[in-house]
Amino acid sequence: MELLKRILYILFYPGLLYCFVGGLVLAGIDRKLLARMQKRVGPPIWQPFYDFFKLLGKETIVPRNAAKRAFLAAPVIGLISLITVSLFIPVFKFSPFSTYADLIVVIYLLTIPAVALIVGGSASGSPYAGVGISREMVAIISYELPMVISLLAIAKKVGLELNNGIMTFSLSQIVEYQAQNGPLFTKLSMIPAFIAMLLVIPCKVGSLPFDIAEAEIEICEGPLVEYSGAPLAIFKLNHAIKMLVMTSLFVTLFLSGSGTGILAVDAILQFILSIVVVFFSITILKAITARLRVEQTLRFYWTYPTALALLSLILVYFGL
Amino acid sequence: MFEKLIQKGLEKSAWLYHLNTGSCNGCDIELVSVITPRYDAERFGFKIAGSPRHADIIVVSGPITSQSRDRLIRTLAQVPEPKVVVSLGSCPRSCNVFNGSYCVEGPLDKYAPIDVSIAGCPPKPEAIMAGLVRAVEILKEKRRAMK
Repeated sequence: MELLKRILYILFYPGLLYCFVGGLVLAGIDRKLLARMQKRVGPPIWQPFYDFFKLLGKETIVPRNAAKRAFLAAPVIGLISLITVSLFIPVFKFSPFSTYADLIVVIYLLTIPAVALIVGGSASGSPYAGVGISREMVAIISYELPMVISLLAIAKKVGLELNNGIMTFSLSQIVEYQAQNGPLFTKLSMIPAFIAMLLVIPCKVGSLPFDIAEAEIEICEGPLVEYSGAPLAIFKLNHAIKMLVMTSLFVTLFLSGSGTGILAVDAILQFILSIVVVFFSITILKAITARLRVEQTLRFYWTYPTALALLSLILVYFGL
Repeated sequence: MFEKLIQKGLEKSAWLYHLNTGSCNGCDIELVSVITPRYDAERFGFKIAGSPRHADIIVVSGPITSQSRDRLIRTLAQVPEPKVVVSLGSCPRSCNVFNGSYCVEGPLDKYAPIDVSIAGCPPKPEAIMAGLVRAVEILKEKRRAMK
């Protein structure tokens, strides 16, 4: 019975089906909102589904000088790790697997899709992909620092209250803290970390001011340049799911609470909050900015978001 | 199993790859105007792709110059099936005013079968949209023929 329940979790709600539908709908809403901001009609909200199924129907070409196995396996590895992350993120108090995992596992699993992009790009043997993967590495280095520092601040803040002053990385404890004391973003010491994480999301999902790795106009989508057909469809799906997973992680970290107790209502609430986060951190930035250069991205992340995250950590130690 | 969904996807999301084979830039600007807010081809799912591997519709503009001929042949070979070739403007069909020049090796149908040709020098954005919608129909037919 327990096993059956686990399988249902993996296949349906926080797992595969939810990631597929939720991620693609979120991507569609993002595109539609962006179009409305630019005074366009924009594609329908189901547009990412059309893109996905169209790409499934196209021929898959493997270039002659590509490493075939790594080239075809990379998107699938990224997809699997993203679905695993989704299983570990609690939806308010409902958390199917989170007793086994905490923030550290989530941080590592969230790096795997980027690594899969690097592996796939380097396996394709294209010079554009080569430029793309070097940029992707710079992107990883730049967003990882402020993200980890702001997660440390959260861990210390929750640990001071619930774990005798020792840092806690347990996601269910973070939710527990918010159920008792209100959402974390209302705390004074957490506001800088809140802003820092909001700035990390666009680089993590590779959206416009920080999409240096997949710059469509400069380097033809970088690591994806040689992909076609089904593997490309899975990479596009990964993109959408990354958006869903990052925003639901953000909601769990800062906007969570005790919820209503009914799973369906909580799930819908979490998804609506995800849409709001996407709107503020991805869509508005995408509509008002142009792409930064590689070293500008690195400099941006290692100054302002890092400073904000550090400020948050210091404020936590002062007990605010 | 997914055939119906794939057909629907092909209808609603055709990605363009724009190939300039020595065009005077007039047609290129008109093609770009199709994706601006005024005409907004994205509402039909058209999107300009960066790589020929992602493309469904290849839009060729310009008479084929000797410099671009090899690139044209190689780029067309890189596009996955099903694909549709669209000629934009008069140049790819007839070489237009460049006909007879020492460096022009057109027209396009020497190198690839043209599925849709959009006339005009340069064509109006409305004409380009009409041509692209016709190209999508041909794309769906080609997918059916592949099965």
